[in-house]
Amino acid sequence: MPDKLGVAVIGYGFMGTTHISAWRYIDDCEVRAVVGRNLEKAREVAKKYGIDAYNNIDEVLRRRDIDIVDVCTPTSTHASYSVASMSAGKHVFLEKPIALTLKDADAIIEASKKNKVKLMVGHVLRFFPEYMKAKELIDQGMIGEPVIARTFRGGPIPEWSPWFLDKTQSGGVAIDLAIHDVDYLMWIFNKRVERVYAVVKKLVHKEITAEDFALINLRFENGGTALVEANWALPKMYPFTMRFEVDGTNGMITLDNQSPVPVKLITNEIVGGFAPETLPWRPAVHPFPVDPFYRELKHFVESIKHDKTPMTDGEVARRCLEVCIAALKSAELNAPVNLPMREG
Amino acid sequence: MNKIRIGFLGVAHFHADNYAVAIKKLPNCEVVAVYEEDKDLAKEFSKKFNVNYYENIDQLLKRDDIDAVIITAENVKHHEYAVKAAEARKHILCEKPIATTVEDADDMIKRAEKAGVKFQTCFVMRYHSTSILVKNLIDEGRIGRVVALIGTNKLNSSLPLLRRWFTDAILSGGGAVMDHTVHLADLIRWYTNSEAAMVYTEIGKNVNKSINVEDNFLTTLIMENGAVGHIDGSWSYAAGLYTWGDVTMEVLGTEGVILLDAFRQNISYIGSEKPNDKLSWHYYGCDCDLEMIKSFVECITMDKKPVASGFDGRQGVAITVSSYESAKAGKPVRPK
Repeated sequence: MPDKLGVAVIGYGFMGTTHISAWRYIDDCEVRAVVGRNLEKAREVAKKYGIDAYNNIDEVLRRRDIDIVDVCTPTSTHASYSVASMSAGKHVFLEKPIALTLKDADAIIEASKKNKVKLMVGHVLRFFPEYMKAKELIDQGMIGEPVIARTFRGGPIPEWSPWFLDKTQSGGVAIDLAIHDVDYLMWIFNKRVERVYAVVKKLVHKEITAEDFALINLRFENGGTALVEANWALPKMYPFTMRFEVDGTNGMITLDNQSPVPVKLITNEIVGGFAPETLPWRPAVHPFPVDPFYRELKHFVESIKHDKTPMTDGEVARRCLEVCIAALKSAELNAPVNLPMREG
Repeated sequence: MNKIRIGFLGVAHFHADNYAVAIKKLPNCEVVAVYEEDKDLAKEFSKKFNVNYYENIDQLLKRDDIDAVIITAENVKHHEYAVKAAEARKHILCEKPIATTVEDADDMIKRAEKAGVKFQTCFVMRYHSTSILVKNLIDEGRIGRVVALIGTNKLNSSLPLLRRWFTDAILSGGGAVMDHTVHLADLIRWYTNSEAAMVYTEIGKNVNKSINVEDNFLTTLIMENGAVGHIDGSWSYAAGLYTWGDVTMEVLGTEGVILLDAFRQNISYIGSEKPNDKLSWHYYGCDCDLEMIKSFVECITMDKKPVASGFDGRQGVAITVSSYESAKAGKPVRPK
């Protein structure tokens, strides 16, 4: 194993740049390249971080000093970039959701097996301090057995990244946003979902192709239930909010990212002040010194170094995707959908 | 003007005490009698509020000086008591759910109408200043068209255990679904001006395994006008919670959102008797019980229509019954 693992990040959007800055704090790694369709933009980002810029993945994959490819592109392109990278012998860190179809997810998982490389999907919620603490308390038995949960994840429509608004690229809220909580719920219930009933709609933003609202009722194989609300239909001034609540046989846990915010900014221009385009939004979401993106990438590096399966591997990510696809199906049929499902 | 004189028919629901306290605060009405099958409970109530108690419902209803009754008996008894009250031409204020079947609810309303008496349903949220404010904001068009309403009316799990009948389906008609569907269902109907076209309910396993009725559920409503509603009325909050429960609703419109947390106005208290003395909440917000009784009395004295009518109560029952059907069948159900 080389002294430092070389990293190439594909995509220079919101998540790509977030990852590049996080990678720079991981001692065992060095970000060496950024890839994007627009070479000029890629060069801009590359210059800022002192790395190389490409507008083509093939050249990067030929570089022997690149060990890890971090795919931060629109979800619809995940399979092609990650399969190509793994076929070139690179470990792949892939942004969530794993893909938009189970077929793509299967191809990605297969490529990692075939090429014997690590694959981790960025279900970053597991690395947020408040969600980590809740998981820790639940695992200690503080609430007994989890029985009924509800989650909320929402804010204004993510206009800063137009591909989210395109159903064919992001899959809409039911896939892109709800998948965070679907993963977290399966993790804390430690059970598979056996039935999904969902309402998925374009409630407010009729001008886009992606749905902006999803209400997903989950039933777990042990009879536990949960409601997942994923919402991009909120007004522009609405702070990005995540809430989680679980009632168990012996107690309950709640968390809400808006109540423990240690720094708030309110000015004459911004009422409430937490719109995503404003600076205080970031500290409001991550009010802790160690950022969750650093933690998830660090976890991935550890799994490579110690040859372990990452916590959110391809199989875990596929199960999450399956639930989200079932939610879309359920909404279309206005009927509950049982899992596991056959695609189509 | 004479005071409106009120008798209680059944006080098994602990709301009876709240209503009696509210009546005492009002100048134009008074509690004069109570009928309750459980003698101990009847005596306790009669002593606490200094009113006559009857072992026979007909004797109470025979009294000409009683204008109205409040039915706070176990759910399954509502129908019989309401029928008798209507026959005796007493105005009726009936605890929710007004009945455990749609047929019973229809019958109660029909008989009250025929007798020419008022029938009001105890949907206290129709009288709560915060939920009224939400209604007004919606009607002023402040959030555009209402498209989704996601609510909680969750309860501290220790409360339904205080009176045994809540967890005895023979007397209650069911658990959390029967008890806690209707308030939110009514708010959703009220805020959308629309009826439920479709109900889907998941009833999971219980938080409290020692009771024989369901203590949690998730209900999705699709309204006739296309709006989406969601109801979580679970009795699943931990017993150590610092308050009784909540009524919250996210009302999403095409041009904005309203977040309601109706019982959020509380003073926090933390004791120092022992190191782990818990936080408790002490409410100082709108007294919706008082407002509801005030409104009921006004309906009688000024011959007005109730704000929360028998029909509203009936629609709540229809949604509740559909919830059970849906959970059993595992598919969406259209309410009767």
